Amino acid sequence: MNYFVGIDIGSTAIKVAVVDEAGRLAGVHVTASGSLFHKNAKEALARLLTDLKLTRDDVRYLIATGYGRKLFKEADDSISEITANAIGAHEAGKAFGGVRTIINIGGQDSKAIQIDADGHVVNFAMNDKCAAGTGRFLDVAARNLEIDLEELGDYHFNSHSAPLAINSTCTVFAESEIIGLLASGHDKEAIVAGIHYSIAKRTVRLAKRVGIEDRVYFDGGPALNKGLVAAIEDELQRQLVVPEHPQTTTAFGAAILARNEYLAEQA
Amino acid sequence: MTERQSISFNHSRQAREAENILNHITDRFDDNPRGMDYFYDLFRRVYCRGEALPHEGVRIGTTCIHAPEELIHAVGATPVRLCNGAYHYDQIGGDFMPAKSCSLVKATLGMLSSKDPVPRVGRLELIVNPTTCDQKKKASAMIEGMGYRVYDLELPPAKESEEARLYWQRSVRQFAVRLSEVTGRRLTRKGLKAAMARTARAQAAFRTLHQLRKSQPAVFLGKDAFLVTNAFFFDDIERWTAAVEALNAELQQRLQQNFQAAQRKAPRILFTGSPPIFPNLKLPLLIEEAGGVVVADETCSANRMLYDLTAVDEWRLDDMVDALADRYLKPCTCPIFTRNDDRRRRLLELADSFAVDGVVYQAFAGCQVYEMEQRSIAEALSEKGIPMLYVETDYSPDDMGQLSTRIEAFLESIKTRKRKRA
Repeated sequence: MNYFVGIDIGSTAIKVAVVDEAGRLAGVHVTASGSLFHKNAKEALARLLTDLKLTRDDVRYLIATGYGRKLFKEADDSISEITANAIGAHEAGKAFGGVRTIINIGGQDSKAIQIDADGHVVNFAMNDKCAAGTGRFLDVAARNLEIDLEELGDYHFNSHSAPLAINSTCTVFAESEIIGLLASGHDKEAIVAGIHYSIAKRTVRLAKRVGIEDRVYFDGGPALNKGLVAAIEDELQRQLVVPEHPQTTTAFGAAILARNEYLAEQA
Repeated sequence: MTERQSISFNHSRQAREAENILNHITDRFDDNPRGMDYFYDLFRRVYCRGEALPHEGVRIGTTCIHAPEELIHAVGATPVRLCNGAYHYDQIGGDFMPAKSCSLVKATLGMLSSKDPVPRVGRLELIVNPTTCDQKKKASAMIEGMGYRVYDLELPPAKESEEARLYWQRSVRQFAVRLSEVTGRRLTRKGLKAAMARTARAQAAFRTLHQLRKSQPAVFLGKDAFLVTNAFFFDDIERWTAAVEALNAELQQRLQQNFQAAQRKAPRILFTGSPPIFPNLKLPLLIEEAGGVVVADETCSANRMLYDLTAVDEWRLDDMVDALADRYLKPCTCPIFTRNDDRRRRLLELADSFAVDGVVYQAFAGCQVYEMEQRSIAEALSEKGIPMLYVETDYSPDDMGQLSTRIEAFLESIKTRKRKRA
């Protein structure tokens, strides 16, 4: 059997996806990027292949994407994560009746992408060099509140007062704002909800810049946080499509592209 | 002694910054035109080795393209455009400016405040500071505080009305008087005519180069084009013109031999917004390394500086000065003007005549006027089906990774768009 790999080397996590010749997802693997991008990426790939009982020889084509895409010389080709994300969301979105707008929140940036009916990028917007409203922002906030990232969703829904306003859009300033709120005796739940709404507002503004059309797909690690999903849905006034593996949509897109490229070369 | 000084200069931070970018420009691209060697060498001498260029008469610094340089030449002085592109000086200039302000203004102040400025501008008899954007206006007093003589060349905030035109013509006439005082030389009809003829020759050479970039596939890359126009800031005008003419002849030959500077399908990019000034060629380099080609620009470090010609009715001194004033006001598409429909028109015209696939719009963070005009430009382009990538950035290299992702995605989306149309 022929298999195809997409590897998304992000600022926080490395995501690997394998698809078969029919474009079906065979498996995914996620690991921390660490400081040794290249080594960790190779290990993540080897690990997933072993889990799937495959060898490197079964892989016909490999496409790298994400910040570390150019360092991964083992790849046949590389592509920007915006294009890969579009392809992945288009493919994964079919099960939900098709998507035209993508919101992605990653470790150090957030993006909004508008795609056409064929999954091609029509327009996109990305935050300008600043980690405000990204996964890193949630990371820092969770650390200040001394709770686990995974718990943020629960805290959000357990908040019984109105979400507190977090006005700073800068991660560093927001940190002092959060500490200030804690010091004045506010409970963590209301602060967490406030953080989610602050990110949601920012993200929705970004999405409006590219234009919101049809179903909106939400992916990236922070899409695992149900509290954030609810806040964005509230700000957007519509439901989001959140896939089963929101972290690996971009890797999946790169794998689909690898398969398409291979088939095109064979034809 | 001189030897030792030059060695230590080579190792200075500003020299290393310049050298890195020059190596990048020359080594990461194949088949650079031989005619570019003049410019590569010029930048190495001035920016990496700190050589001072020979000059005629006293030097007059300018901080903007609104200062009519023909008047400076006509009184036997040498104009040097001071707008700086170095991150090293941007950091130093940060001391003078609010946190969120324009890198270009910060770097220019940083350079002027340093004891050993690059390029070695030497002693400046006068600095002409046209009263354009707020940041440049308020820089006047700061530059004076650094020990320079500053002349505020008063520019109107609008350019359409007859009042604005008359106001500006008076400003330019007063400037001419001031230049005579500073240099001790009278402005004569003969002197100005000769100076205008020299600038016109330089402009003709630029326009030929500009036209050559219409070719499909491209024969010349934008990273080199920006270096050529950047050299005009400080190089001797006649040597510069001769070097551009030689380059044009070579490119003409390349065109006949069907030479390609980029792939046939390379997305053709029109560059607009805050000006790329050496060594800050970050965006043009990222675009061309990602497989695009910058075929034209609408910036004050290149096209806006050199394209528009002076039209003289009668060759009398007064008329010539007024004609110069008109040329430095009317066609200018700087966003400092209250209304700026000309910029939109010019971009659409360039996009059309250069068969452009997309526009990259650079705004230096803190440059409000470019940031604000972004919207109307994007709308005008989108009506014509031309995609635009808006990038807010500054001189620091720390957003290179993020920018390369955005530029690659932009080029990829242009390619799919073209494939679909085909």
